[in-house]
Amino acid sequence: MKMTYREKTLALTEITELNAANSTAVRDGVRAALRPEISVIDVSLALTRLVDSSGLGALIALHKTMCSRGGCVRILNPTPSVQQILELTRLHRVFEIVSIA
Amino acid sequence: MKLTLHCPANPPAVPALAAKGALVLVPFVGKTVLEHALAGLASDGFRHIRIHCTDHMQDVQKVVGQGEAWGVRIEFSGEPVTRADWADERVLVLDALPQLPDHDLWSSYRAWFSAQLALIPTVARLGVGTREVEPGVFVGLRSRIAADARLIGPCWIGANVHVAPGATIGPGAVIEDGSFIDGEAGVSGSVVGPNTYVGRCTELRDSFAWGNRLLHLDTGSLTEVTDRFLLAELQPSGLVDRFRAAIRAIGATASSANTDALAGRMEQTTPKPSHPLGNWPASPTRSLHSPPK
Repeated sequence: MKMTYREKTLALTEITELNAANSTAVRDGVRAALRPEISVIDVSLALTRLVDSSGLGALIALHKTMCSRGGCVRILNPTPSVQQILELTRLHRVFEIVSIA
Repeated sequence: MKLTLHCPANPPAVPALAAKGALVLVPFVGKTVLEHALAGLASDGFRHIRIHCTDHMQDVQKVVGQGEAWGVRIEFSGEPVTRADWADERVLVLDALPQLPDHDLWSSYRAWFSAQLALIPTVARLGVGTREVEPGVFVGLRSRIAADARLIGPCWIGANVHVAPGATIGPGAVIEDGSFIDGEAGVSGSVVGPNTYVGRCTELRDSFAWGNRLLHLDTGSLTEVTDRFLLAELQPSGLVDRFRAAIRAIGATASSANTDALAGRMEQTTPKPSHPLGNWPASPTRSLHSPPK
């Protein structure tokens, strides 16, 4: 996973899997990297092949963290598989999902 | 009348439907596509049918047997059929059901789903034990539906299905036999395959869920769900199903009504195995099988 700062946004890219094996590391790593000015976390899931409930739990934890700071988490370009999991769990109504061509 | 029925193996538009086995054995409103086709051909007067398939021949033979269930004689062929073989016969490619000639089955996943919705009234009219509990809502034998579950037609709920409290089924849903829709789940514009668990608070929309596989009907995206509390395959429950399978295997000619009656009696006399996901909560269920007025 790669983290990049752009003004008030923290962009997470190159996530190939988000599951029980790495969800805790992702959640804690991102929380540790949050600077005070960050109000948006963009999570690019364009390369993500697999998301399970642990991975979704990490995203929800980040969402709660950002909500408490008055910010939000956006999901960018989820793969069709990830989109299906988000819809199955109704999380597409929780996160802002953005498709950028 | 004679007829050769050609079963397509793997149409390019719907590759995922053949992922688990023969394409013509994919679930389709309580049975398989092939079984519905044979029923339609038998009612059209065909008595001698040659099934030509190149894929999963043994599985197909296992399902249709010699054709006793439809009162027809069936033979199988894996070789290319030539006109010289049966000079005076008709050849039908199973791209559409005889009952629904205008509905192409394999042009897209959406077309396959639409054909199922179109077939529901026909199957419900001819099927044994199926009840229309609300306008456009058909429920099969021994299904248990919580009193506060919402059923919105058109929808088909097969036999031995559990729909838990707060679930919403429909509009446009086909729930195959033995499935379990857990509490607060929603299923609309979708097919739930046989013996499939749909988890609590999940939402299936425009999808085909079978076991832990989830196929989107519009995008064709196929996903394997790894969390069993979201979507999973259920093992058929014990004695009654084994009894029914044994009846089929020995080629009994008993009607499905007799089989279901026997199975019902066995259910009453044998202890019911507990559900693999835990005990069914003691909640009020709809009365689906009251005697007709």
